[in-house]
Amino acid sequence: MQKQVDLVQGTLDMLILKAVSLGALHGYGVLLRLQQLTGGRLQIQQGSLYPALYRLERQGLIASEWGESENKRKAKFYTLTAAGRRHLKAETDSWHRFSSVVAGVLDAVTEKP
Amino acid sequence: MRLFGRNRFEARMAAELQFHVDAYVEDLVRAGVNRPEAERRARIEFGSVAGKKDECRQAWGYQWIDDLGADVRLTVRMLWRSRGFAAVAILSLALGIGANTTIFGLVDAVILRVLPAREPNRLVFLQVAGTDGPNGGPPYPGFELFRDRTTSFDGVAAFSASNLELVIDASREQVRGLWVSGNFYDVLGIKPFLGRALKASDDQILGRGGPDGPVAVISRAYWQQRFGSDTSVVGRSIRMFDQTVTIVGVMPAEAMSPEPGRPIDIAVPMMLSNPASLRDRGDWWLDVIARLKPGGRIEPAQAETNALFQTFMADAQMPPAIRALSFDHVEITPAARGLDRLRRQYASPLTALMILAGLVLVAASANVANLMLARATAREREFAVRLAIGAGRARLVRQTLAEAMVLVSVAAVLGIGFAVQAGHALAAFVAEGNRPVLLNLSVNPRVLLYTLAVSLLTGMGFAVLPAIRASRVNPARGLQCGSRSVAGNRRALRVGRVLVITQVCISTVVLAGAGLFIRTMNQLHSVELGFAPTGMLTMEVTPEQQWFGKPAWLAMQADILGRLHAMPEVRVASWSTMSPLSGRNRGTGFYVPGFVSQTPRGDEIHLISVSPEYFDTFGMHLAAGRGFTLTDGPQGPKVAILNKTAAHFYFGDHNPIGARVGFSREHESDYEVVGVVQDAKHDSLRAPAGRFVYLAIPQSVDRINRLALSVRGPGDAGALAASVQREVHSAGPALLITNVSTMQAQIDQSLVTERLVSSLAVAFGALALVLATIGIYGLLAYSVARRTNEFGIRMALGATSGGMLWLVLREALLLAFAGVVFGVPGAVGLGRVTRALLYGVEPFDFASVAGAVLLLLVVAAIAGTVPARRASRMNPVKALRSD
Repeated sequence: MQKQVDLVQGTLDMLILKAVSLGALHGYGVLLRLQQLTGGRLQIQQGSLYPALYRLERQGLIASEWGESENKRKAKFYTLTAAGRRHLKAETDSWHRFSSVVAGVLDAVTEKP
Repeated sequence: MRLFGRNRFEARMAAELQFHVDAYVEDLVRAGVNRPEAERRARIEFGSVAGKKDECRQAWGYQWIDDLGADVRLTVRMLWRSRGFAAVAILSLALGIGANTTIFGLVDAVILRVLPAREPNRLVFLQVAGTDGPNGGPPYPGFELFRDRTTSFDGVAAFSASNLELVIDASREQVRGLWVSGNFYDVLGIKPFLGRALKASDDQILGRGGPDGPVAVISRAYWQQRFGSDTSVVGRSIRMFDQTVTIVGVMPAEAMSPEPGRPIDIAVPMMLSNPASLRDRGDWWLDVIARLKPGGRIEPAQAETNALFQTFMADAQMPPAIRALSFDHVEITPAARGLDRLRRQYASPLTALMILAGLVLVAASANVANLMLARATAREREFAVRLAIGAGRARLVRQTLAEAMVLVSVAAVLGIGFAVQAGHALAAFVAEGNRPVLLNLSVNPRVLLYTLAVSLLTGMGFAVLPAIRASRVNPARGLQCGSRSVAGNRRALRVGRVLVITQVCISTVVLAGAGLFIRTMNQLHSVELGFAPTGMLTMEVTPEQQWFGKPAWLAMQADILGRLHAMPEVRVASWSTMSPLSGRNRGTGFYVPGFVSQTPRGDEIHLISVSPEYFDTFGMHLAAGRGFTLTDGPQGPKVAILNKTAAHFYFGDHNPIGARVGFSREHESDYEVVGVVQDAKHDSLRAPAGRFVYLAIPQSVDRINRLALSVRGPGDAGALAASVQREVHSAGPALLITNVSTMQAQIDQSLVTERLVSSLAVAFGALALVLATIGIYGLLAYSVARRTNEFGIRMALGATSGGMLWLVLREALLLAFAGVVFGVPGAVGLGRVTRALLYGVEPFDFASVAGAVLLLLVVAAIAGTVPARRASRMNPVKALRSD
């Protein structure tokens, strides 16, 4: 088992937004896409997706529509809204800045006396 | 709203989560796992479906609704279990809220309501004013000037209320009429209910009106009452002033006149009125209403109108002193709410009533707060358990608030029911008698909004303390048995005591207020009237128009008196141009040679023309000289009688008998004073009598048309009514009899606002007293129950049962005393604020305050008796064992 990374709530939201931005997905599809993108290195409790999806929809960052899945069953598909797109961009930029700052700290070499 | 899609939401959420689990199972099966194992793994990896559903609900915002629903259901169940508490709380609140809603309904109908006209904010009154304030509109020629020569208005209309005599189907009737200019309903923008409204073209030709001839419109109320809502009334003819007038329309009842509260039956174009009044430049009988142009402002309109008015007055023959008082310039005032006669009459009483009603509601809230506090303490263990198993304090506070809201909601609904009933009773109360006030007291959205706001505030108010107590529960201590200490008990009661003291304080104020108004009524009823009202019947009799001022009418007056005096049940009867306290008045100029008046109105006097039996009928005492006799006829020397106030004003301490007086500058000496009679109240019981001159009817300066007939019998006046009217009709079948009433009823009518205020104040006082009683009893019962342990200790240490009784009773009296001490200054304050309503009593009236204090102390003692007896009869052993 590779090292599992624990997710903070905000990052899960961000990952969901990214997954949905690549195309309309139902909840299971979001899970599959995230597993695919992370190569299985990220352990996401499957049920936790749904409260996150409902929260994001309530905030207006994603929109939902009922449609038909591949095996002809009714499923709820989520797409990114314009506000969601803006939010994703802002969060991504902020994440990159944050991670580069932290990486800079962690890569610091001890100063020569 | 999301609430309504709840079922759909639940179904879809279940379907969505199920889809996920099923899809995962399928994937596992495809990967080679056997189905039962796949399903087990899927369930474990997904997590608790019910838990995730709850999280989804929370994310979607449904949780607070679910919690609220649970709180409300729990509250209703618990209130049902303590039905006594719930009943008392809901009833007290309902009465308090109902009282406030009723009074606000009055305030709304009298003060806040806007005329049902088009764009009422553009309507204004054009009033002539002076240092004495506004005084109505200009004479008709002045109105024509305003109507035709101003540019600031979209229309200028005139109106004037007057009793009119109609002949409908050969029967004479007196109705409340309104003279209007033709454009009146146009300016107001009111559409008729049936038929058409009056138009400017109906008011063009003097004596005829317009192309359709003489026309009129009637009010919907009159249409229902007189014509039975018969739609064929449009086009029907009636006779008025010997003309045939056609009814062309029915107007909504509230829209007949810009004077709120004054019922109007029929509106008639002014061109059909007396041509002399239309030409007279000195007859000030109109009110004028106008519509400003859109965006127009008052100041330029006022300047323009005033300039026209000054040119109009340039050739008016008016003493400058009088002009400065009332006829100086034109003022423009907003007319959206109509003429303010009703508002001025009711402003003070309504303020007083709103204060009283508000106080009663606070007292009721204090009561309920106390009751809820007692319950909160009883439920301490329940709250401790809930806290221990994980409820947040916020949840407990929310539950307390939910309980408060449920109580208040039920109370509000009941309160509105009370208010509707009370509204009907009030409307009927003021609509009685000869000077009815028309009030529409139905519940409208504004009143409902007020009730909602008041209920919310009340609920928040009395829930605060219990909510704070709920949030302060210490779970550890609450779960222990027998945890209460003596000191802890005493502390818990402190808040309750403060609340009861507040209640007693409020009750003192309200009861003292009620006492003030009762005393005012007593003072008014015992005012020196100057005449004896008991056993007297009065009515107004109007002959046909051709008889006005004619000798035939004089002869008929004598005939009727003769017939009445022959009746055994009549002691004496007389005629006069008006009777006291009827609301009628006649003022005239009065001149005494050699007398120069210091005050501008010194030349004015009230004039009543009477038959010789008048003073006898009213039991008025002659202070000097003689009364009128039959020799004071049309040919005899002209004589006059003054009342004491007039005699003193014009003649000082000299004897006025023999002096000559007159009614105009040119005829200053026409009349000789032959008697002085005592003063009698005329305008109102409060106002001093004023200066009066009495003339004999045949010698009067007025043309005599309508007269008041006053009949005194040895017995009950009401029983006379039918027989007197029969006699009058047998003497003159065409006579119109109106306003039949006993003198006592006429006096009561003049006191309608005082009676309204005092009845309501007494009702509020009783309510406050009951609330205080319940509050004191409740607190003491609770206190005794909680201090059982302490009482057990006291008894074990030697206290007697009499001592225990006194212990509790003393607490009751102390609470009452403390409340009263704070209440007395409040009562004085109330007296000061309502000073205008009082008569003969000072704001600090010892009798009222002392009465209120005594009543409350007695009531407190009674309320404390039951708990006190329970305390004195306690079994010390059982008391020591209880917790």
